Amino acid sequence: MKTETEVLIVGGGATGVGLARDLSLRGVSTALVEKGDFASGASGRNHGLLHSGGRYAVSDPVAARECIAENRILKRIAPHCVEETEGLFVSLPEDGVDFQNRFLQACRNAEIPATLLSRDEALHLEPNLHPDILGAVKVPDGAVDPFTLVVENARDAEAHGARLLPHTTITSLLVEGKRLRGVTIKDRITGEEGTIEAPWVINATGAWANEFLSLAGLRIGMALSKGTLLVTNHRLTHRVINRCRPPSDGDIIVPNDAVSILGTTSVRVKTPEDFLPTTEEVDLLVRETSRMVPQIRDARLIRAYAGIRPLFQTEGANDDRQISRGFALIDHGQRDGLHGLITITGGKLITYRLMAEKTSDLVCEKMGRPTPCTTHLRPLPGAATRQRFSERLKKMNRGFSVEGGEILCDCELIQRNEVENLLKGQTLRDLQDILHRTRLAKGTCQGGFCVYRLLGLLHEAKRVEGDSNLVLKQFLEERWRGIRPILWGVAMKEEELIESIYRGLFNL
Amino acid sequence: MEKELWPRNEADLCIRCAACMAICPVSRVTPLFPGPKQAGPGAQRFRRPDEPSMDPWIDLCIGCQLCDMVCAAGVPISELNLIAKAKYLDEKGRPLRDWLLTHTHLFGSLGSMFSPIVNFFLKNRAFRWLLDVTFQIDRRRVLPAYESPTFRQWFRQHRSQGEKKVAYFYGCFTNTNEVDVGKATVEVLEANGFEVVLPRQQCCGIPMLGNGNFRGAHKIGAKNVPPLLEAVRSGMEVVFSSTSCGHMIRHEYDHLLHLEGAKEVSSHLFDLMEFLRNLHESGHLRSPFQKTPLKVAYFAPCHLKSLGIGFPTLHILRLVPGLSVENVEAHCCGLGGTFGFKKEKYDISEEIGRDLARALSAIEPDTVLSECEGCRMQIRHLTGLRTLHPIQLLRDALSR
Amino acid sequence: MHFDLIVIGMGLTGLMAAKTAAERKKKVLLIGKGFGTLTLFSNTIDLMGILPEEVPVKESLPLWIEEHPDHPYGKVGMEKIEEALSSFLSFFPPPYTFQSRNGANSLVPTGAGTLRPTYLIPSTMMKGIGLREKKALIVGFKGYKDFYPHRFSDLFRCRAMTVDLEEAHGAEVSATTLARWMEEPSFRQRLTEGIKKEWKGEPLLGFPALLGLRDPMVVRRDLEKRTGASIFEIPVLPPSMPGMRIFNTFREKLIRMGVTFLLGQSVSRLLLRGDRCEGVEVAHAPLVNTYTGERILLATGRFIGGGLRADSSRIEEPLLGLPVTQPPSREGWFEEAFFASSGHPVHRAGVVVDSMFRPLNEGGKPIFENVWVAGTILAHHDSLYEKSKEGIEIATGYTAALKALGG
Repeated sequence: MKTETEVLIVGGGATGVGLARDLSLRGVSTALVEKGDFASGASGRNHGLLHSGGRYAVSDPVAARECIAENRILKRIAPHCVEETEGLFVSLPEDGVDFQNRFLQACRNAEIPATLLSRDEALHLEPNLHPDILGAVKVPDGAVDPFTLVVENARDAEAHGARLLPHTTITSLLVEGKRLRGVTIKDRITGEEGTIEAPWVINATGAWANEFLSLAGLRIGMALSKGTLLVTNHRLTHRVINRCRPPSDGDIIVPNDAVSILGTTSVRVKTPEDFLPTTEEVDLLVRETSRMVPQIRDARLIRAYAGIRPLFQTEGANDDRQISRGFALIDHGQRDGLHGLITITGGKLITYRLMAEKTSDLVCEKMGRPTPCTTHLRPLPGAATRQRFSERLKKMNRGFSVEGGEILCDCELIQRNEVENLLKGQTLRDLQDILHRTRLAKGTCQGGFCVYRLLGLLHEAKRVEGDSNLVLKQFLEERWRGIRPILWGVAMKEEELIESIYRGLFNL
Repeated sequence: MEKELWPRNEADLCIRCAACMAICPVSRVTPLFPGPKQAGPGAQRFRRPDEPSMDPWIDLCIGCQLCDMVCAAGVPISELNLIAKAKYLDEKGRPLRDWLLTHTHLFGSLGSMFSPIVNFFLKNRAFRWLLDVTFQIDRRRVLPAYESPTFRQWFRQHRSQGEKKVAYFYGCFTNTNEVDVGKATVEVLEANGFEVVLPRQQCCGIPMLGNGNFRGAHKIGAKNVPPLLEAVRSGMEVVFSSTSCGHMIRHEYDHLLHLEGAKEVSSHLFDLMEFLRNLHESGHLRSPFQKTPLKVAYFAPCHLKSLGIGFPTLHILRLVPGLSVENVEAHCCGLGGTFGFKKEKYDISEEIGRDLARALSAIEPDTVLSECEGCRMQIRHLTGLRTLHPIQLLRDALSR
Repeated sequence: MHFDLIVIGMGLTGLMAAKTAAERKKKVLLIGKGFGTLTLFSNTIDLMGILPEEVPVKESLPLWIEEHPDHPYGKVGMEKIEEALSSFLSFFPPPYTFQSRNGANSLVPTGAGTLRPTYLIPSTMMKGIGLREKKALIVGFKGYKDFYPHRFSDLFRCRAMTVDLEEAHGAEVSATTLARWMEEPSFRQRLTEGIKKEWKGEPLLGFPALLGLRDPMVVRRDLEKRTGASIFEIPVLPPSMPGMRIFNTFREKLIRMGVTFLLGQSVSRLLLRGDRCEGVEVAHAPLVNTYTGERILLATGRFIGGGLRADSSRIEEPLLGLPVTQPPSREGWFEEAFFASSGHPVHRAGVVVDSMFRPLNEGGKPIFENVWVAGTILAHHDSLYEKSKEGIEIATGYTAALKALGG
């Protein structure tokens, strides 16, 4: 299979698909290659916080301004991926009023709408906050569903002619003299091989930047920082809760659909495959976040996960939080003498669109086709649809199952028809692809009952190849990675139940 | 819906094991109710106190509390359901019918005073059709007849004597619709040397609570507690003959309604049969029960099971010679207090009761015994069998 | 109230202990919240599933026990294991009874399309053994989401069909709804008519395990009569109807035997005086009820039942604070892989008892004069790996009760 295109994007995270969308909207012929499913890197493994920029107001005013601008844009173009929850920066006695004042001023300087709330006002809004808080600053933080955001960008890109190839690895680079001409690829599932030729290749692989660049014998300075996050069984606060102090571990609580996400840590790791949360990180997160919301100490956790942040590193910086969270655009033609290759790295989820814009500007300029960016103006495809998570409750009248089919996921209330619709007209290559695109298995029992049911459904739809129990076992093994670190308390009971069903009753 | 009542972490205890689904009588007979696993802890994750209720099916929970009993994780499922039901009904508004069904104590004395006329209408087909069509009170449901004089009136003419005093909470149904239960209670207690005292009392409030009316239940409960407290503080124990009233006062008054003084009352409040069993255990039960060659079936009401005292009636009935007792293997009679009177729930109620009816027809008893007036009504309605409160059989066995 | 024996825990262990004591005319209080794990996993009676199928357990199990003396079976012994199983079976006279195949383990098909080794099989499941060699039609129900006949039959190379029940009106149907409908002759009539439309005369018909709750054999006999085929049930996701049958049978019979059956209550505290336990406290807000007894038998299960509790660093036995043998830290509780071949170390954690089933302190001495511990709370077994859960529950429940009564 040979493809010719103008720009090849490597990496299907937010930046990569954002680029595919931006370029295809500018009329540039684009292809994208991603070794896993979309958002399988940091884009799919973060706290889903739509920053207001408050977090960077004091330490990095430029980043803060970028954030608030993108915050507004995303709320406009992707309302169905965003919940406008608002956020609070709470001050505990040890944080002091001084920092709160600096914080408030810094927000105002960065033009981030910020309102000072008294202790009582804050507790009235969020009764679960620690009673000792001194007060809070309200900002327009929000919660974003990163996966849907990424997939929506991908959909729009495809609708405008981009060719997206997930589950495809790059096996080698096609270099001619000092120019990168393209790549050879291999489908990870079918093994089919091919080539893609493109005068411009953009490395948007996030934490895997050097893994990709090594194919050309190149390297950039990058630190990899693992951040672990915890998921609680139910939503503890309705607003994003931040700690009003210099950014540190365990100072964010983000509402996400029916749960809360507690984050995060910052642990240097050597490879982007080091994904596992450790016991120490889990304990630290519980300890720290419960300073803001005491209930967390005894809260039921249902999962732990980690993501690797790519931090572009200029020489010298040691503390990962000091390394700029801004992004870097590297023209390897200028830097390394390999033309036709650009790397975009660093940044954070919320600035993906801006990163994509700057990169697209550069590429279009280099192609001699300067066209304006429109991604900040055009809404993403599904923007008209929006459903409050509490509305899902209506489904539980089983009379509804007459229309929607039986409820497959009891915890998250996902019906058969939703899954069947998902299967139609989408290239879903494996079970995880399906699970990424629905909230099935994201609730209390983390797929304990529903994946068994899903497999039955998939089998009926003839979408399972080979031994379906192998797929089930793989799912359970993958699920285990997120469960093992949080096994104590009620989670132990849940584990005993699930293990007794699958190892005991079903003898898998 | 008071904010303090809103659940905190209770739903987090659920491990989704579905044991509760195995016992729920409602989800077994209708797909309109998703079952306790979903209705309680499942839905709770999606409920927000500051957002409108999205669970209109929640008032199909019959409140039998069987789910609570089998939840090893300790999720207070029926409580989660009840709070959600209260919120939903507070928002939606309660129909006049529900007010009528939960305030029958207001018409009790009138009903008794004019019982011949009232009873005529309660049986009259045209009137029942009217009630059905106007108020959605199902015409197929047999409405309990009123009796005259009331139990209280009868007691006023009665001289109670004994070595020790015991207070009796008789409940509004006994007072106006099944006076003989009250009489039998008094007679058996007196036969055991007790002077029976009737504290000032109103409806216990369970019909209101069962319909999610926390405020109404609180108000009426607040009237009941002081006289009971007074009785308790003067050294008396209090007994109840209706397990529904008893469960309400003994557990819900303190636990759900936070009524002051309720806890103290609870520790001296006993189910009548439990009281007799305790007497027997301590050797103080005077039980010259005569031979009673009857075959009886005993049905344990849901509220008896949730009292957590076992089956004291079975214990006592063993003392009656010649009596053959079969414990009925069925979970819930299906009436659910006011539940089975409502037109939209009548069929569900009957379908639940069908299992009980089947179990009874396999036994073919002469009489069916149950401590709950609701169960007795439902059993008569389903099978036409003669039903008694166990205390009535005991009284008969005494004076035979 | 004062009892000869107070049994804490209403799973199969507690039920067996209560039966054993009640049969010996003792006054028994049985208190528990829930069905144990009967409605979760117990469809058949496991004894020691890892023993080879061809060998009668009478021969293979004693050898295994010798090699694993710390195992709960080691404290019971083969003779008592057989007695205990007999005792269990006495509650299930034919027609609905439990049988082994030639006194050995057999493989039973499960709803996931796998085979699991087990020992005593209910009559309604027997005919599913050896399914791979037989021709069968597997029947599922539209709207019943816990069994997928096509996936199942794919793995067993038989045929499948899904029945669309009129009475479901297109809605979801639960296991209890179906089990209840199965008890109606008219339903069975309509069901078999529906089945006959796709049935090609296969000699075996397989159903998810919901052939009624009260009279599964009546249901099966009727279905067999109407179809002329042999019928068997297949265990599926919880709630387990076969497990419910076991519980209901015990409940009915124990109540009839005069056991004080407190379902729905949990013991909040044990009353101790020196090395004697005088009784239990049952918290039922706002009251605390007290029951005294001569002997206490703890059968509170593992984590699901609350018999063992794990905080973020340790595993504890919450009622008496009994020592729990366990891996040294939380890191060592679970292996890195879910399907670790030797099982997870935490499953072997538990309360250590002597040969009399009395719990021991760290020094190996019995702690209490009148407390016995039985069931899956015991240390040194992994019922998931061994496939031994019901066997341990029945054998230790029976034996510990006997020991408590002085036998």
